[in-house]
Amino acid sequence: MFQNTKCECGHQNHVGTVLCESCGKPLGEELLSDEPLEMRYDGVARRSQKANPNLIDKIWSFFSSVKIAVYLIIITLLASVLGTIFTQENMLTEDPATYYEMNHGTIGKIYYMLGLSHTYNSWWYITLLVMIGTSLVICSLDRVLPLYRALSKQQIRKHLRFITRQKVVYTGPIEGSEEQFVERIAEQLKKKRYKVHTEGTALLAEKNRFSRWGPYINHIGLILFLLAVLARSIPGLHMDMYVAVPEGQTNEIEGTEYYIKNEKFTVNYYTDDELPDSLKGTARPKLYETKAVLYRCVEDCNELTKEPVLEEVARHDIVLNDPLSYEGLKAYQSGFDATPRLELVKPVLINKQTGEEFGPFELDIRNPQTTFQVGPYTLNLRSQYMEFAYGSNGEPTTLSREPNAPAYLFIITGPGLKEEGEAYLYFPNQIDKLQFNQDALNRSIADRFEIKVNGMENVKLSGAITYLNIRKDSAVPYIWIGAAISMIGLIMGFYWHHRRIWLRFDQGTLSLGAHTNKNFYGMRSEVAWVLGKAGIEVEPKSLDNGGNKT
Amino acid sequence: MNFWLELSSDSFIAAFFLYCFGFIFYMIAIGGKKWSNRDSKAHVKRWGKIAYIVSLLGLAAHLLFFFARWYGSGQIPTSNMYEFMTFLGMAIMIAFVIINAIYRTPLLGMFALPLTVIIVAYASVFPQEVQPLIPSLNSIWLKVHVTTAALGEAFFAVGFAAGLMYLLRVVDFKQQTKEAKRAQRWVEFTLYVLVVIVGFIVIVFAFRGADYHAEFMQEQVKIDSRGQESTTTETVEYTLPPIFKPYNSVTTSMDSFLGLQEPLLETPSWMNGVNAGRKFNTVIWSIIAGSILYGLLRLLLRKRLGAVIHPYMEGIDPEDLDEISYRAIAIGFPVFTLGALIFAMIWANIAWSRFWGWDPKEVWALITWLYYSAYLHLRLSRGWQGQRSAWLAVIGFVIVMFTLIGVNLVIAGLHSYAGV
Repeated sequence: MFQNTKCECGHQNHVGTVLCESCGKPLGEELLSDEPLEMRYDGVARRSQKANPNLIDKIWSFFSSVKIAVYLIIITLLASVLGTIFTQENMLTEDPATYYEMNHGTIGKIYYMLGLSHTYNSWWYITLLVMIGTSLVICSLDRVLPLYRALSKQQIRKHLRFITRQKVVYTGPIEGSEEQFVERIAEQLKKKRYKVHTEGTALLAEKNRFSRWGPYINHIGLILFLLAVLARSIPGLHMDMYVAVPEGQTNEIEGTEYYIKNEKFTVNYYTDDELPDSLKGTARPKLYETKAVLYRCVEDCNELTKEPVLEEVARHDIVLNDPLSYEGLKAYQSGFDATPRLELVKPVLINKQTGEEFGPFELDIRNPQTTFQVGPYTLNLRSQYMEFAYGSNGEPTTLSREPNAPAYLFIITGPGLKEEGEAYLYFPNQIDKLQFNQDALNRSIADRFEIKVNGMENVKLSGAITYLNIRKDSAVPYIWIGAAISMIGLIMGFYWHHRRIWLRFDQGTLSLGAHTNKNFYGMRSEVAWVLGKAGIEVEPKSLDNGGNKT
Repeated sequence: MNFWLELSSDSFIAAFFLYCFGFIFYMIAIGGKKWSNRDSKAHVKRWGKIAYIVSLLGLAAHLLFFFARWYGSGQIPTSNMYEFMTFLGMAIMIAFVIINAIYRTPLLGMFALPLTVIIVAYASVFPQEVQPLIPSLNSIWLKVHVTTAALGEAFFAVGFAAGLMYLLRVVDFKQQTKEAKRAQRWVEFTLYVLVVIVGFIVIVFAFRGADYHAEFMQEQVKIDSRGQESTTTETVEYTLPPIFKPYNSVTTSMDSFLGLQEPLLETPSWMNGVNAGRKFNTVIWSIIAGSILYGLLRLLLRKRLGAVIHPYMEGIDPEDLDEISYRAIAIGFPVFTLGALIFAMIWANIAWSRFWGWDPKEVWALITWLYYSAYLHLRLSRGWQGQRSAWLAVIGFVIVMFTLIGVNLVIAGLHSYAGV
């Protein structure tokens, strides 16, 4: 369709222009109405408004629509709500495959099967975020460039219909000379920090144009933020692991050259004097603290046979809300376990028939030797289990690497035993020994021999274990930069308002129109104040030209 | 109890009553417009001013409460539900004062005040004693995050108040068209919900006055990652008669109420927040009490509540109300973004080692933010104004309240310590 886009003032406008970019005369359908003008983006054509769109233009046009953007926001909002109905998988300690059905019945099963149990990591949720990001970029570009063009080359003398169809309008005769009036009003406008431009008896006053860029700066910040969030899924940028360090020990932080030592772990509870009546007698924690030292390995790091050479690089008392931080690596207090665990036992071997005692020998719970020589007997360590249990096939297995229920299978050779040796399963913990029925497991050898610890002086317990969360997140600084930019944009856009006032004279009649992007209430009182100072008393409300305010 | 804490709790009571009086004076200002023996404009101006000054005194007492409690306890009073809700009430008053300074509409207080009164009264339902901080809350960000987030939400509350005023002003209760009837129904429903909240406060204090008590043993079965079942039993105390007992529980003791010796029903299992049973029972009681209260009001007034209020709103420019509602939200939005999202992320990054963890409370803060950004886009770019915008402001505040209270009620999460 052919569309004449040339204005009577001679300016050639783009297709889709609502108000002539030069004189402001309403074009097309806008010409026919008497309603206040649609001033959004100053009536310029957006980039997406093209005469013959191709495929890319169509995609661009789709994402450039604010309507689509609002739909995307609403869909994301509803999807987010779905994700809060039941606990998400990442918060569970239980097996998700059974958890939802067991706790929430059929609905829970459906919830799990639909993948809503991991809503926020699902491909469709991430797609939504990517689409919002695309919409942010395209919506902004589509509007900010034409808007910038329109605002940077404004005409001072506007078309009369442009002025009288603003939402804030004053028309009326004035007394005295037109030039003097313009001078008077210009002076008052300057007091209100307007930039005033005149052309004969036409005037344009403008202030706070920068506030128009607020939304776009906000969007730039949000895009950066979203990119930083998406970048976190790139491997290598992001490390997140937990280390358990018993008091006094130094553990390697796997995958790095660092080692971390727990010098002392403290947990304090409030005393009853510090607590209000209703909480007396409860264990209300006051402080968790790990005195931590961070080491860097400088030599023999991957040598299995040698001890690594460590160099202290940082030292910090880690408490909640105050992590250890060193070159982007952070160690957070995450949890603790004060249950005493065996660290070292000194058992003896007893020949039950003769009553003889051999040993003691030193058994390091975590790193035992492979052979022990006690008296005439040799104990060969065949296997060790840190947390003894029976596997699904009935064979012994270990559930974890933490010594929660340690067990050691020795092959004992020596006098009174078969030549090839006899197997003996030893549980250092008395409670495990009873629970797993050590004597029954060992069968006949249990009647003749026993490995046991004589008294607590032969047991060394480890201190409390602190759980530290080790994090390295290279994307985080960009998150903060994005958030900061976004915040600046929001403040610019919401706490300042772009205000413009145009006026002109036609046969002795003053026509004044004013426009703002937000807060017409304030705009009207400002115009009324300025007019009042220039000698025309008006009620702010009377300037309202009807129509909706934004 | 030390001197400062005592001063603080006295100021709280003073603030509460000053707010109540402020509200009454606002009602006189508006209700007295039609009294025959006076000039209505001067009357509104005079009483509007008195009401405003009394409200300001209330805010001053409230600030005294806040700072005295801070000084007396050595920690900022924003760490549990009581402290947070009183702070929210105070923030609403501050937001109201700011918006009122811009627009000078005497009647905004007519809606902001009762909202504050309800929130402050709601706060006092919770235990008021000072609870020493647990380690995870011991941070400067407790001060920064909670106060800014609450202030942002307070502006949304003022936006809600003005939005509701707008609806009461423009929805004509005499019209019979289908559309008008629908609007009337929803306005009435909104007012009903407010009455239910009042009902909640009334019922809690009534049974507290009667010293009602019931106790249950609740068994909770947990299955850990190794497939081992463990059972824990917890004592759950009720201060309202149990219509719903906790899920999977037995009664230990129960005061009789109207011949009721045993709980009638059991709370559904999917309500898994802290003390879900008790809270659910309270909700049911609130609805019952609120409905009775609403019924009494209807009997007394013989009209729908909206139809009673509507005539008093005449003379207020609806476009001003529309603008106030929008401006309050526009002012609150950056504050909310900063407090409830950015500061929250900074704190989460320090305390929980990640800036975002999809904890239900975090998600709901995001939902609130998405909602209000949709509101702003609809208004600024799609021209949604007037009634549609006012409804959005009303619904928005429902979402805010769900984020603050509802999440703690029905969903368990890291923020659960904010409840009781």
